Amino acid sequence: MRKYLLKRILFSLFSLLVVVTTVMLLVYTLIERSVIFQMDDVWNKKNANDRASYEYTQYQKFGYLEYNDYAAFLKAKYEALYGADYTKNADFKADLEAIQDENAYLENASVQEFIQQNEAKGYKATYLSPVRSSNGKVKKGGNAYLLAVRELSPFVRLWKYITQLITVETTNDVKDEALTDRYIRVEKDPYNGLFAVVGSGTTHKYLLYFNGRFPFIHQNFLHLNLGTSFTKYRGSEITTVINTPTGNQIKTHTQYPAQIGTDQYVDTAIDFHSLRYNSNPRNATEMKQFPDQYTAYSYRIGGLSMIENSFVAGIIATLIAYLLGLPLGISMARHKDGWLDKIGNGYIIFIMAVPSLAYIFLFATIGTTLFGLPYKFANAEVKILAYVLPTISLALPQVGSLMKWMRRYMIDQMNSDYVKFARAEGLSEKEIFRKHISKNAMIYLVHGIPANILGCLTGAIITERVYAMPGVGNLLTTAINGHDNGIIVACTVFYTTLSLISVILGDLLLAKYDPRISLSSSKGGGR
Amino acid sequence: MSDVTVKNDKFYFINSDTIQAEKITAPRYSYWASVFRVFFRKKINIVLISLFVLLILATFIIPIFAPYKPYENITDAKTFNLSPKAAMAYFGGFSFKWMLGTGGMGNSIFYGIMSSARTSLILAVICAAINMTVGIILGAVWGYSKRFDQVMLVIYNIIANVPYILVISVVVYIISAGFWSFIFALTITGWLGIAYFFRTQVLIIRDREYSLASRCLGTPIPRMISKNILPFLTSVTVTLLATELPSYIGMEVFLSYIGVGLSAEVPSLGRMIQEGQNAFLIYPWVFWPPVIIAATITIILYVLGQNLADASDPRTHM
Repeated sequence: MRKYLLKRILFSLFSLLVVVTTVMLLVYTLIERSVIFQMDDVWNKKNANDRASYEYTQYQKFGYLEYNDYAAFLKAKYEALYGADYTKNADFKADLEAIQDENAYLENASVQEFIQQNEAKGYKATYLSPVRSSNGKVKKGGNAYLLAVRELSPFVRLWKYITQLITVETTNDVKDEALTDRYIRVEKDPYNGLFAVVGSGTTHKYLLYFNGRFPFIHQNFLHLNLGTSFTKYRGSEITTVINTPTGNQIKTHTQYPAQIGTDQYVDTAIDFHSLRYNSNPRNATEMKQFPDQYTAYSYRIGGLSMIENSFVAGIIATLIAYLLGLPLGISMARHKDGWLDKIGNGYIIFIMAVPSLAYIFLFATIGTTLFGLPYKFANAEVKILAYVLPTISLALPQVGSLMKWMRRYMIDQMNSDYVKFARAEGLSEKEIFRKHISKNAMIYLVHGIPANILGCLTGAIITERVYAMPGVGNLLTTAINGHDNGIIVACTVFYTTLSLISVILGDLLLAKYDPRISLSSSKGGGR
Repeated sequence: MSDVTVKNDKFYFINSDTIQAEKITAPRYSYWASVFRVFFRKKINIVLISLFVLLILATFIIPIFAPYKPYENITDAKTFNLSPKAAMAYFGGFSFKWMLGTGGMGNSIFYGIMSSARTSLILAVICAAINMTVGIILGAVWGYSKRFDQVMLVIYNIIANVPYILVISVVVYIISAGFWSFIFALTITGWLGIAYFFRTQVLIIRDREYSLASRCLGTPIPRMISKNILPFLTSVTVTLLATELPSYIGMEVFLSYIGVGLSAEVPSLGRMIQEGQNAFLIYPWVFWPPVIIAATITIILYVLGQNLADASDPRTHM
């Protein structure tokens, strides 16, 4: 069994890899890349070479290619030679101007150096020659550009993605030579009196700490980099986006790290457990506030994060669905063609027949007008009430579907020989239904339980849109519409991992629930 | 002991007839004949079938004589979002065309839902036919063979995990949005879910005692699948078909909502519902007709399917 499980996990990892490759090929090669400019105002306003150069910047941002710019190369070169005043240097100006002459630019030494340097690294020099009008003057946006471009092959991209998927924080993370004292040690946490693992030289100061926020113990040793957003969440990592709370800032009565041990207190929303290394020298105020270079921080924000929002609504809906749907399905089968069966069937048919979009709107209207429940998520005065309608909207179809299948399987089992036998033995109808038929009917439903629970983490598309609920359900759809390739890949990896786990868990649960089923070939004869 | 005396003249001899003795007295049994006998015993099924035939005829015949022109009144802003009463007043008296009012572009709602329902019905039937056929055949083999199971699980894990919204977007993008490309997008991975559902069902039945016994007697795999396993799944198959057919109508609505549906030239219920959803409180006649027609089709198909599933259990044929 253990061998079978190991094999399944390995197969799953392999399929995850293939899924990522497939999706990367889909989004990076099958879709024409220029569609990203369809809605871009900046692109519309730019002309000629300015536009072409802007396209390269965007392509690099979206992960299609990598390029180096001649101007940036000159900046680095002369800054190293002459310091911050390099722009006043005559050689610099001459080198910068050299590319504006399309006939003689190749003779410039810096240009040659740039091209040779980049071609050695596998880049291809691309010259955008100046666009001139008939009188020889450069048109608007027609200035020449010299770039070195390298297309990213799918395999390079995949390799980069996999190697950067999990990063570990070490004491060598900070590249600042001024930092000499590097360590990771257990210290007493001044903010809660418990202990914490504190690092120096690591990106984060607190590597392991406790606080009052779920899941109460937090770590910064390992980071998951599923993918970076290019458009909607500018440059943010997707795991950060979905885990950042969506509420308001919470101020606490606390102290800056340098104030600890004194009686000075401040009211601030800064979360001092989030301190990160900042290589810029501290200014006068920061000198008073922080004892070291760990001065970058994020704020303490209330409310639930996107994924928590989706999960809370989803898991309550799933619980309601199982607690209501299964007993109702059993009762419907027991009193087949009775009034409960008729009402239940009516409900099932309603949920199936009316498109989800329509009944979500219908229930939203009923909930807001009859019960005064908040409609749009952000407008709710009592936050907990905002979850009521989305949760109900999510539970309604699930209850219907569980009722439907439970009834079907119960009825299929009702004429079985074991039921007749149980009846012949004199068992009561209640006992037969509860202990015999429902247990056998559940075999068919057990497999889906892990998928239903883990599925809550992926959110709901229509429900979250209708109630303007900040959840994860719409990440993928908005990413596809906005060509946010990083998020598309990240979402795919996230969804795939969840569903791979649910398939394995479902099979295990099925084999556990019904001992007649053997998963591995070794039992019950190989085939 | 009682005193009843039985006289000998109450009995007589019968000659044994060897030819007669060889005949089987049980009535001829045909599975599907009994299924439909039980099915048509319920009067509601006959009503629903007639209603469905009527609906199909209406959705196929009306658009031939009265083609839906969504933009015919686009230049006349006074015709937008008229209630049935106002529309008939505006266009002069009662007419079938305007009896359900007008939509956001002065389009006739009645002609709209008729053309749209036809699109949705054809879409649902074609998609369900392709997906169910491929899904059931592959699912049966998949569930039966443990070796095939391992290969198929990998394939399933791969295909099922590429988000289908992404697949549909890419397909629609590459081979331009249209009716057939939409069907292609829905069926390219759609069969997999059905095959997987069947795999789990077959997995459960595969190791039952009667299957084990049958295998011990050397029954070949194709016959095992067609005689031992699939008949046992008839009711599940019919239930699945009853849910699968209408689900494409709902799917089309959903995809229209998120912006990857059928193209604008093809009238579809999804597009009509999606267009009506923003104004469903102000102009309810724009929103409800397509919802009701979608719901009616779904209800008919589902109830018929459920009753057929109930009738397909031979133990109810007594």
